[in-house]
Amino acid sequence: MSPAVAAYWYVLLKGAAITLWISWLALILGGLVGLVVGLLRIAPWAAVRWLAIAYIEVFRSVPPLVLFFGCFYGLSYALQLDLSPFTAATVALTATASALMAEVVRAGIESVTRGQWEAALSQGMHYHQVFRYVVWPQAIRVMLPPSVGVYISTLKDSSLASIIGYVELTKSGLLVRETTGISFEVLLIIAVMYFIINYSISLVGAALERRFGYVH
Amino acid sequence: MYAFNLAGLLPYIDPLPHAIVLTLWLSTLSILLSIAVGLAGALCRTSTSLILRLTGAAYVEVLRNIPLLVVIYLIYFGLAQVGIRVTNFNSALIALTLNAGAYMTEIFRGGLVAIPRGQYEAARSQGMTAWQLYRYVIFPQVFRIIYAPLGNLMIGIVIGSSLASVIGVEEVTTWMRRAGDETFRYMESFLAVGVVYVALAQAINIGRIVTGRWLLSRAPVGMRR
Repeated sequence: MSPAVAAYWYVLLKGAAITLWISWLALILGGLVGLVVGLLRIAPWAAVRWLAIAYIEVFRSVPPLVLFFGCFYGLSYALQLDLSPFTAATVALTATASALMAEVVRAGIESVTRGQWEAALSQGMHYHQVFRYVVWPQAIRVMLPPSVGVYISTLKDSSLASIIGYVELTKSGLLVRETTGISFEVLLIIAVMYFIINYSISLVGAALERRFGYVH
Repeated sequence: MYAFNLAGLLPYIDPLPHAIVLTLWLSTLSILLSIAVGLAGALCRTSTSLILRLTGAAYVEVLRNIPLLVVIYLIYFGLAQVGIRVTNFNSALIALTLNAGAYMTEIFRGGLVAIPRGQYEAARSQGMTAWQLYRYVIFPQVFRIIYAPLGNLMIGIVIGSSLASVIGVEEVTTWMRRAGDETFRYMESFLAVGVVYVALAQAINIGRIVTGRWLLSRAPVGMRR
């Protein structure tokens, strides 16, 4: 690392911390919204199911970058709100993450076989008891490993927040690049930092998969 | 109160078809190139040579863990400083292909390792040529495993192509930014472009289901779903 770039190490570290924080926030919010949408996706009413499918398909097919613009400029103008880059980025990331999490939730619940529902119901359990004590404890194990994948995906998407001026890792890198005039080295450092963060998270995911994943 | 006015975008409708074509062109090129990269990568990852296996694994891990945006910047701005000038379209294409190629590698590898070794040996012992082995035994089964994730990845590539707008490629997202900036009709241009991307993704989805049914219905009886 050249000394000109090394002088800004704390800017890059702070950027990395902000990237971790906003993607974690979006994962939690996306998980909550995704849980609701995922449950609606397998609801017994066709109209509700179709609404959930539409939500998932739309937020999975509209590029996150387009969502960032839609939230930052579109919502700001349409609702006459002065949304900060942080709010806009959180909303956009949550929208994408929730669509991914909805599918994770659906797959988790559907992994518990029908027979278990029937067996538990025939034991005199209530629907909510079956869900709480029989289905959920098994579903959450199936949901954990792919949730780590959603976190990594959200973390990578959070780099797009730099476009609307939110100073996370990518934007910090671009600022250091402008200040020092050194492109390749700074961008390479940013890439390496993303790699270290995401690779560490994926190792956690692999450990979870070994611990909780299905034994084929 | 905000007056929603889609008609405000009418003066900008002319360049939209061209922008859609550019998005499709960039995505299609990237899909084709990343299939080639993915096939080579999968062969490396399943090779008997340790060096090839490690190279393949390193490629996949590195590209899957770095945001596409950073890869685009590295190629467009980073390489320029080292003296290698790549046009903005080519930078986006290379970055998108490198990124998608890593996912392609994993999809093809997943398909290849799912076929038991015994099938290769059984087919060869029946006197099949290598071509016949892959054409009639391996590929029909691999296709059944990979065609769903392949469709999802193609949608992912179209979505990823939106990032080409940050280095000025005149595709759909750039159209949205320009139309929004010049009319302040940000919400309208966002919704219009949202419709375009959802339509593209659904077209790929339908195409995947149709080709899937067509190819699977031609598979031997035992392998039909």
